[in-house]
Amino acid sequence: MNLTVNGITHGVDGRELATLLDVLREDIGVTGPKAGCHQGGCGACTVLVDGEPRRSCLLPAGYADGTEITTVEGLGTPEKLAPIQQAFVHHYAAQCGFCTSGMMLAAHAYIDRGGTDDHDAIQQALGGHVCRCTGYSKIIDAVAAAARGDSFDLTTTAVGKYTTMATGGGE
Amino acid sequence: MKVVGARIPRYDGVAHVTGRTTYVDDVSVPGTLWAKALRSPHHHAGITTLDTSKAEAMPGVRGVITWKDVPLLEYGHLSALGIPADEPLLAKDEVRYRGQPIALVAAESEELAAEAVDAIEVGFEERPALFDVREAFDSDAPKVHQWGNWYPHFEGEMDRRQIRKGDIERAFDEADTIVQGVYRPAAIEHAPIETQVCQVVPEANGRLTIYSCTQALYFSLGVVAAHLQVPLNRLKIVGGTTGGGFGGKVDTATETMACLLVLKANRPVKWRWTREEEFLCSSTRAPWHMELATAMTKDGWILGQKMLTLHDAGAYARFSPYGLTKHSFHHTGAYSIPNLHFDGYVVFTNRTPTTAMRGFGVTSVSFAVETHLSRVAKELGLDPIEIRMRNANRIGDTSPNGVAYTDPSTIDTLQAIADAIGHELPADYRTMTNEPRAGELLPEHLVAQVGSTEGH
Repeated sequence: MNLTVNGITHGVDGRELATLLDVLREDIGVTGPKAGCHQGGCGACTVLVDGEPRRSCLLPAGYADGTEITTVEGLGTPEKLAPIQQAFVHHYAAQCGFCTSGMMLAAHAYIDRGGTDDHDAIQQALGGHVCRCTGYSKIIDAVAAAARGDSFDLTTTAVGKYTTMATGGGE
Repeated sequence: MKVVGARIPRYDGVAHVTGRTTYVDDVSVPGTLWAKALRSPHHHAGITTLDTSKAEAMPGVRGVITWKDVPLLEYGHLSALGIPADEPLLAKDEVRYRGQPIALVAAESEELAAEAVDAIEVGFEERPALFDVREAFDSDAPKVHQWGNWYPHFEGEMDRRQIRKGDIERAFDEADTIVQGVYRPAAIEHAPIETQVCQVVPEANGRLTIYSCTQALYFSLGVVAAHLQVPLNRLKIVGGTTGGGFGGKVDTATETMACLLVLKANRPVKWRWTREEEFLCSSTRAPWHMELATAMTKDGWILGQKMLTLHDAGAYARFSPYGLTKHSFHHTGAYSIPNLHFDGYVVFTNRTPTTAMRGFGVTSVSFAVETHLSRVAKELGLDPIEIRMRNANRIGDTSPNGVAYTDPSTIDTLQAIADAIGHELPADYRTMTNEPRAGELLPEHLVAQVGSTEGH
C-alpha cells in the first residue's frame, strides 16, 4: 500500500491490518500522533485522512491506502507555524503537550470546514479529545482565536525572548 | 518583578505544537524487546505456585523475571528518610491488590509478550479483602499485612500522627455549640494521557540508559540503584518530558523492572502500560475519612477542634506517611484554632496503593475544613465569609505544629473572594488586615495562643 504522509509517499507492505497509528509511528517514524488509549477514547492519535480527522489507533492502515495523511508535523514548522499552532502557543493551550497534536488537527479541520469562534461549536468539534492538564478553556480560546483569524505577536512568547529574559536583558 | 504578570513563553511551547517534543514512547531503539506484566487478578491472595518455565521456553521470549531476580526486593521511595519499606518490587508469596505485578516478560513483540504472560502458571489461595478503612480496626477485620492494618512507624514508633495543643477539654466545656461532620473525598486516578512507560538500553560501557516519563528523576535513580544493588554511576536517566503526571509519575512504576529484564536479556526493553493497566493499578490519590468536631461560640469563634483522620493508603505505604504528616500540620486549614486534638492513621486496605497528587494530604483537609466551616456558619446563622475572616490566620498566630505565621494571606484572599463574587462585607471586615491580634480580635481564649509564639 502507499501512504502519503505530509506530502511524502511511503510504500509499506504487509501492514494493512496493523493500525494506522502503529504504521505511522513504527514503520514510517512519524511520532506526532500519540497512543493515549489504543481504543479510540482519547483522541491523541488523531490524524487527517484526506482532510478528515480520524482516530489512527482504530483505523486499519490498509484503509488509508492511496490517501493523503496529515499529522502535526505537516501543519507547520517551528520557523513557519500554521495559524492553529501560533494560536496554541500564544494561548498556552499546550501544557504537557501529549494531547496537543490531536487537538490541533481536529481544530484545523474544524476551521477548514468554516468553523467559527463559537465556543459551543468548538466544544462539539473537539468533544472526542481528552486533555488532563488545561481544563480545556485555554484550548477553546486558542481555537476561537484561530477561527477568527487573529494575528499573534509571538515575540512575547518566542524562545528567543525567553533566552533574553533568562539572561537578565529583558524588560 | 520581571516575571510576575508578564507573558513568559513556555520553553517547550513551539516543540509541543510542531510534534518535535520527544516523549518516552517516541524513543525508538533497534533491537528493543517489549515487556508485559503478569498481574494479580485478586484483591488479596496467597501465591501458592509460580512456574515461568513454559513462558520462558516460548520462541521469541527473551527473559522472564520474578521476585527471585530482584537483588533487594523491598525498597521504598522514603527509605532514605528512614521510613521502612513494605512493598516488594514483584510479589513473592502474597498479593495485596488487584493488578499487583508478579512477573514481567520480555519478548520480540508486545503480542508475544502478552501470550507469554498467559503461559505463566500461577496458583492463588484467595484471602478475605479489606476495602473500608472504618473496618480496619475491628478485631475480625481481614489482615492486609500480617503485622497489622495501619502504619506503625511515626516518630517514636507511634502508630499515628498525633497533635495536642492547648486545653481541648476546656474548649469543649466552654463552647456554646459543637458542630460535627464526617468528610470522605474519594480516590482519584491521575489519568495522564501518556500512560506509564519507559525504555531501557544497555550501553557498551556497562551502564543502563533509562528513558523515563518520571516526574522525579532523582527518586527513580535512587530507587532503581537500591533494588538493583548497583552504584548510581551505573545508571543514566533521560527524562524531563512527561505526558501528564499530576503526582502519579512520582512513583518509580516501571524503570526498575525494565532494568532487570534488560540485565537478563541483554537487549533494550520498552514497557508501556495500557490504558486498562493505568486505570486498574497505577497509583491514585488517596481516599480519606475525616471526622471533625468543632467547639464554637455563638458569635463565631472557633474555640477548639477534635479530628480523626483515616488515610486510606491502599495496600502499601509509599508516600502516605509523608502525606498524613502534611495533613496533620495543615489540619486547621487557613484558620487559627487554639485548642486541638488530632489523631491520624495511615490505614492499609486491599486497594491500589495511593501516592502523590497535587497537594496530597492538604487538599483533603482543606475540603473538610471549608465544607465544615460553611456548615458551622449556617448552623450559627452567621455570614460564611465573616466567620472565616474572624478566625483567619494573622501575624503571630501559630500553626497546629507550633510554627508562628509571619505573613499569612487568608484575610487578603477572603476580601478578594468577597469582591469577586459581589459579597457585601461590613466596613470593619473590608479594612481588616493580617496585623497581629489586639482588642476585639484578641479574645481571652486566643491570648494564650498568641503568647505562645514567643520563642518560636
